[in-house]
Amino acid sequence: MPATWRASLGYLLRHPWQLFLSMLGVGIGVAVIVAVDLANASSRKAFLLSMDAVTGEATHQVVGSPAGFDESVYVDLRVHHGFSAIAPIVEGTAMIDEVSLQLLGVDLFAESEIRAFTGLRADAGSDTESLFREFLVTPGVVSMSDQLAARLGIAVGDGFTLVADGREHRARLLATIEDPDGRFANLLVADIATAQEWLGTAGQLSRIDVRIAADDGPALARLEASLPGSVRLLTAAGRTRATAEMSKAFMTNLTAMSLLALLVGLFLIFNSVSFSVLQRRNLIGILRGIGVTRQQLLVIILAEAGLLGLVASVLGIAFGVLLGEQLLALVSRSINDLYFRVSVTAVSVAPASLAKGLIAGIGAALAAAAAPALEATSYQPRLALTRSTLERRTRSLLPYVTLGGLVVIFAAVVLLAVSGRNLVAGLTAVFLLILGFSSCVPYAVRHLSRWLEPVARRFAGMPARLAIGGIAAGLSRTGVAVVALAVALSATIGVSVMVDSFRGSVNRWLEQSLQADVYAGVQRGALDAGLIDALQRIDGVEATSTSRRGWIEESRGRTQLIAIRMAPESYAGTELLDADPAEVWPAWESRDAVLVSEPYGYYNDVGAGSRITLPTDRGPRQFEVLATYQSYDVNASAVMMSRVTYERYFDDDGVDTIGLYLESGVRADDIVARVQALSVGRQNIRVDSNARIRELSLDIFDQTFVITNVLYWLAMGVAFIGILSAMLALQLERARELATLRALGMTPRQVGSMITLQSGGIGLLSGLAAIPLGLVMAWVLIEVINRRAFGWQIDMSVAPGILASSVAFAVITAILAGIYPARRAARSEPALAMREE
Amino acid sequence: MKDIPAPGHTEISVCGLHRRFREGAREHVVLNDVNLDVLRGETVALRGRSGSGKSTLLNLVGGIDVPDSGRVVVAGVDVTKLDEHRRTLFRRQHIGFVYQSFNLVPTLTVADNVRLVLELNKVPEGDARARIQQLLEAVNLADRAQSYPDVLSGGEQQRVAIARALSHRPSVLLADEPTGNLDDTTAETVLGLLDDLVRKSGGTMLIATHSATVASMCDRVIELHNGKLEERA
Repeated sequence: MPATWRASLGYLLRHPWQLFLSMLGVGIGVAVIVAVDLANASSRKAFLLSMDAVTGEATHQVVGSPAGFDESVYVDLRVHHGFSAIAPIVEGTAMIDEVSLQLLGVDLFAESEIRAFTGLRADAGSDTESLFREFLVTPGVVSMSDQLAARLGIAVGDGFTLVADGREHRARLLATIEDPDGRFANLLVADIATAQEWLGTAGQLSRIDVRIAADDGPALARLEASLPGSVRLLTAAGRTRATAEMSKAFMTNLTAMSLLALLVGLFLIFNSVSFSVLQRRNLIGILRGIGVTRQQLLVIILAEAGLLGLVASVLGIAFGVLLGEQLLALVSRSINDLYFRVSVTAVSVAPASLAKGLIAGIGAALAAAAAPALEATSYQPRLALTRSTLERRTRSLLPYVTLGGLVVIFAAVVLLAVSGRNLVAGLTAVFLLILGFSSCVPYAVRHLSRWLEPVARRFAGMPARLAIGGIAAGLSRTGVAVVALAVALSATIGVSVMVDSFRGSVNRWLEQSLQADVYAGVQRGALDAGLIDALQRIDGVEATSTSRRGWIEESRGRTQLIAIRMAPESYAGTELLDADPAEVWPAWESRDAVLVSEPYGYYNDVGAGSRITLPTDRGPRQFEVLATYQSYDVNASAVMMSRVTYERYFDDDGVDTIGLYLESGVRADDIVARVQALSVGRQNIRVDSNARIRELSLDIFDQTFVITNVLYWLAMGVAFIGILSAMLALQLERARELATLRALGMTPRQVGSMITLQSGGIGLLSGLAAIPLGLVMAWVLIEVINRRAFGWQIDMSVAPGILASSVAFAVITAILAGIYPARRAARSEPALAMREE
Repeated sequence: MKDIPAPGHTEISVCGLHRRFREGAREHVVLNDVNLDVLRGETVALRGRSGSGKSTLLNLVGGIDVPDSGRVVVAGVDVTKLDEHRRTLFRRQHIGFVYQSFNLVPTLTVADNVRLVLELNKVPEGDARARIQQLLEAVNLADRAQSYPDVLSGGEQQRVAIARALSHRPSVLLADEPTGNLDDTTAETVLGLLDDLVRKSGGTMLIATHSATVASMCDRVIELHNGKLEERA
């Protein structure tokens, strides 16, 4: 290795702490982005696999109204119109030991055209033909994947109890399905007649799967012409895509959070790598002096940074895969709570995710090294390569950097204004805001610390003045640490204010919309008619409301249809956003009219006065939109119609939830107990008081945001390391100054306190600087990102406690990060001041 | 702060001083049974080749370092018997340092650099202000009080360092190659100033130097050679 390379590398190896911190910075940044990417990709892959398991070879699907459609449609298509590559499906939910599963009722003989349930395994000696026969003729037999059977502790031949449509049924595991890639992880397969019986949908189908070549236009046209008006043909891929799209916004937000962690990681990388270059100013001066060219030096420094980035990224990726497994559990839980059932237990390591981490790590290290390397090598060899030269240059650059930051902020504002509903543009604007703001922070720090300096001196004397003054005086070092912490903190403030505001809005909405005192219902299927009658006649129940929820499938996605029979008090539970309730409610009860949820209105650009077309059992029908109503329901896109209207257009008399309004003085808990007693032997139903539902809903809300908490704690951890490394680097550079102070009579305790105070000062300044960006970020998250991602309108409220605790947290973090540097500084040898370099 | 002491008494007494450093497996004896007495008000030049132990002796006298054996008594205090904390407080009150590379605190103004030791010694603000003014006038830098060190020339920085070293009226001023980083003309000015101010204050000064000019200005010259002190005429 050439001597010049050895000279440069030797420096790094002689400062192992600094090398370690640089690698830690790059590694953590890479680990976070890889982990989130893997968790997202694994959830998505698991979802697509499970959709694939259910969809099979189907190219199209025939779907009907929310309650399904008559099975005669299938018979008609197969017998009268000669379509053979079609398979009827009944779909629902079944619970085994509190595990919620997708129940798929199939006709095995028709299935061969769509889904090959190959690898069916039963007892030794059973051949496929006899299995098929038994599956078809024996009521209550099911099949599931071998892993699921093992998870539930059920062996082939075992009988067990499952709950479907609120009722208990006996079942027996006939055979297991080989499932190497986990696509059947949540699937319970039964004969169609069994599924219909269990789900209470005798004679009804959920859909018909169809396989027709995409280019066979005439066959598709013939099929469409054969369908009655109440059902329609959708492409299978479009339906899968539409379902996956639902979670896209959630995943985009997660990706944004991981990018935020990476951004903070980038500051850390910049901090660490630039220090390692800047501290070699003297060495660079010497090498330049003896004839090493600028280009040679640049190559050495960048090669070192690239190598450091590579090694740290590889370690970061390894850590990221481990972290990804932890995040996966959180991500899939949120997706299960919010969107669709997905069962994923192992991270699938996608090469693209790893490449992303590698490129980010190496790229960031190179970019971080390039700027200081260019600066350090631009000096004339003998030009005093002093700190003061560097600080003067930093100070003179400050106004330009700040101006640049303001321009970037302006660009972000323009982007927000012109990007319509584009989520990616909204997130880009957030990052531009962070970037612009970061550029303004050093300027703010310089002025804030100048203001704090005399205050500190008045209360704590010269060491305090030295500590605070040192922050501004060493801006080339402290600035980056302050920016890293400020960005991490502003994200904390932004996300906390957003989550807090969101929680407040959801809580208010729950309080308003849950008007009944007790709710009873089933998750899928319908409440027993006799039970409804009994509930309405309970002593102490003054009035009841009923609702029916179902899904309207369309090529652009799913919309929830809610049919409600209101009790007199129910109307107040729905907040109308764009029309007068006094005019809306009578019209809603009597006309062909609907209300749309706020997200539905936002995405479909409709509101009071618009007209929408919905597929019904009488064919497509137009409905007048009377108003938009506020809703934070996770099934965000919804249309609400009165029960009377619903029954006019849909052949469904089912009710899935009943609300009980109690006479004054009657306790909700007593009625809950009474309802439970009445349901015994009839149907397994869910019954809860108003307060309990609110509590459960808020629990789910909090669980959903656990992932966000984890990500911003990671960002804070990265910022912590940033401060630690900045303080250590500062202390290394100020070794002689600290030694002089010790020689002049400062005690180790005073020197240590000074460094601690300086760290605390960095925390305080970062905390103060983070507040404006945090509030702007909260506003953008609420008004732009959440609106564009989910269509929700949230009332922003800023709890002063969040701001105060963030600043306090910043100070504590910084002080903790400063403990080790302070201890080292306190041990400064005063003799060092005497020694010449 | 103390009154100007009367001359004639022993201010620095070094007795049987040994100091060695270990470099890997090798042991390097720097001071070997060094004995020295410096009278109050006396200025003594300490000469010797690079690595002869001049700075080590200054460090031991100033309480920055501790000997392997022997005694150092400064201003009546046996520095070798003090623990680290007490040695720090002793330095703060009794010793002034002037270094070859000035060692001013870059983040403090000229006035605050001088104020630093006064504050550490808890000198009341009014007295401190007057003392700073007096010293900066004495070193001809009253007009640069609010400047930062990095805009001063080497000579100016060393004058600030002298003002700082004398601010608390130390019993002993220790100077390690104070003109080593200055050109001849500036060195002469700085040296004259240092000598004048120390003598006026009645302080005792020990200067480590290579320079014959510096040595000629002192009352006495001693030389360190092979770890031993030799008196020169």
